[in-house]
Amino acid sequence: MLRYLLRRLPVTALVLLLATVPIFAVLRMAPGDPAATLAGPDASPEAVAAIRHDLGLDRSLARQYLSWLGGALHGDFSTSFVNGAEVSGLVGRGLGNTGTLTLCALVLAVLLAFPLGVATALARTARLRTALSALNVVMLAVPTYVTGVLLTMVFSGALRLLPPGGYVPVLDDPVEGAQFLVLPSVCLALPSAAVLARFLAASLQRVFHEEHYFASRMRGLSRRRLILRHGLPNAVGPLVTVLGIQIGHLLGGAVIVEAIFAWPGLGEAMVSSANARDYPMVQAMLLLAVTVFIVLQLFSDLVYALVDPRVREQP
Amino acid sequence: MSEPTGHGATPPETAGGAAAAPGPAGAPATTPPREPHEPHEPHEPGGRHEVDGAAERAPSRGPLRDPVVLGSLGVLVFLALAGLILPSLLPHGPNELVSDRALDGPSWGHPLGTDELGRDLLARVLAGIRVSLLVIVSSVPLALAAGGLLGLFSSASRWLDTPVQRLFDVVLAFPSLILGLACAAVLGSGLTSVIVTVAVAASPVTGRVLRDAVRSQATRDYVVSARVLGVGTWRLYLRHILPNCFDVVLVQAALACATAVFVEGGMSFLGLGVPPPGASLGSLLSTSLNVLTSAPFYAAGPLVVISALVLCFTLLSDALNRTMAAR
Repeated sequence: MLRYLLRRLPVTALVLLLATVPIFAVLRMAPGDPAATLAGPDASPEAVAAIRHDLGLDRSLARQYLSWLGGALHGDFSTSFVNGAEVSGLVGRGLGNTGTLTLCALVLAVLLAFPLGVATALARTARLRTALSALNVVMLAVPTYVTGVLLTMVFSGALRLLPPGGYVPVLDDPVEGAQFLVLPSVCLALPSAAVLARFLAASLQRVFHEEHYFASRMRGLSRRRLILRHGLPNAVGPLVTVLGIQIGHLLGGAVIVEAIFAWPGLGEAMVSSANARDYPMVQAMLLLAVTVFIVLQLFSDLVYALVDPRVREQP
Repeated sequence: MSEPTGHGATPPETAGGAAAAPGPAGAPATTPPREPHEPHEPHEPGGRHEVDGAAERAPSRGPLRDPVVLGSLGVLVFLALAGLILPSLLPHGPNELVSDRALDGPSWGHPLGTDELGRDLLARVLAGIRVSLLVIVSSVPLALAAGGLLGLFSSASRWLDTPVQRLFDVVLAFPSLILGLACAAVLGSGLTSVIVTVAVAASPVTGRVLRDAVRSQATRDYVVSARVLGVGTWRLYLRHILPNCFDVVLVQAALACATAVFVEGGMSFLGLGVPPPGASLGSLLSTSLNVLTSAPFYAAGPLVVISALVLCFTLLSDALNRTMAAR
């Protein structure tokens, strides 16, 4: 297990390091001079030069990159161009809310994916199979901003069951907080649930072909016991990997969902900083997104290797 | 299922026949490498073979005979024609103030109603279709060319393979809308960044799939015999191998179109796409959210059109993959 980890770690670190280069380049590729922007239109050349020196923009690119990387390792992303606040503080504030939303969506996606995946794998008739795959494609392909608008129209517009958007901390008021959480989580969970269900169905069907499964069937086990004890446990392995990737995509999808439901998370900060070209903010959040994504991938591969010894024995 | 390294996970063939195509909505990065050479035999958990369902029965039908391909192509052609032709037949443009009654419900003069400034919503939805078409036409060829070239290099040279694959890893590590935010931050919001985002987001998947396809072709007898006959490397790839990978590219093109519509809508929804006076399906949707209680009809047009576009492109790619794999 440790050897597997040691084998995977360098590759992961390399990808992460490579990913920091384009993220750093974001600042460099941008048209315009951040120092001049910050100094204002009437600033003297000396003032601009002073600001440039303060920001460290007069040093060589390589040194700037290294000092940025070093700061990032310490969690220091300098200050926002727009309001001068510490970027790490701004990011940290949104991260909790986005995390809550993503976690809820993840749980929901898994809860939806299991029945759907098992049903797809077991579907006997062509009609049922077509219906299930149609449902899957719809869940997968219809963009979150469409489902978001639809859900708002139905559940808060027509039925008046749930609030159209906003946020109440779940810990302060569990009942009301949960109400605000329902629609965004559902909206965010649907595409991921569809992906997971597809993978689960495919994985289950592979298990159905295996000899041990056939042997268990021959022993006369009940259908329920067959699937729950012999089918699913052998099918969930590959799912762990997909789950890791899906968490990353949930975080990406959260940007849209937060905009729809006025959820005060990272997405809002991200869009406004992209609009204002607040590069330290943009860089910090890109780095955060990529790190989460890559670390989750490694983590899910490790869990998979833990579950399935065949994986870690591979050369 | 050799290595669990993320993107190369299992290629699922679900029982419904829907091939492995996690669409643009959730996850371009999860799009598993299609392995179209395995016609699936659905086994019941009981081990009983079943041979109903069109997908299993017809191994030799052309893609144009498939009802799903025909249906989605029909809808797409209809929407494209509507977006291209109808605006010139309408009495008013998308940015014209045509009614002094803002947010007026559907009527004969304005079939989809009017927007918050009294502009005709039908004209604006049609303008939105044009924007989507523009993004598709400009970004999908870019994505296919970039991804295709990289995939080709990657399959042709062992030295380039690893760096190119790591590059794809890095790009795939960013969800498409996060890429969009980064592009908007660098290039400024507008259609240029939308087009760049789509090209960047869609090319790694194309590259991966094409690389695998070329590799599987490269071991075929016809390639070996061409080599023996002394066909040069360039000619071998361009005239012999690539034409045989055409179906894979076609499937990817349809998927890239879906990504293009999705990303354009998403970025415009966030206010990073088409700038304000212009209309886009995404920005129409985001405005409709603000007026949902007073004018629920507002969302109908953009909602239907954008879902139809993304859904049809995804279905088309799925169905093409299925019918071509069956051959």
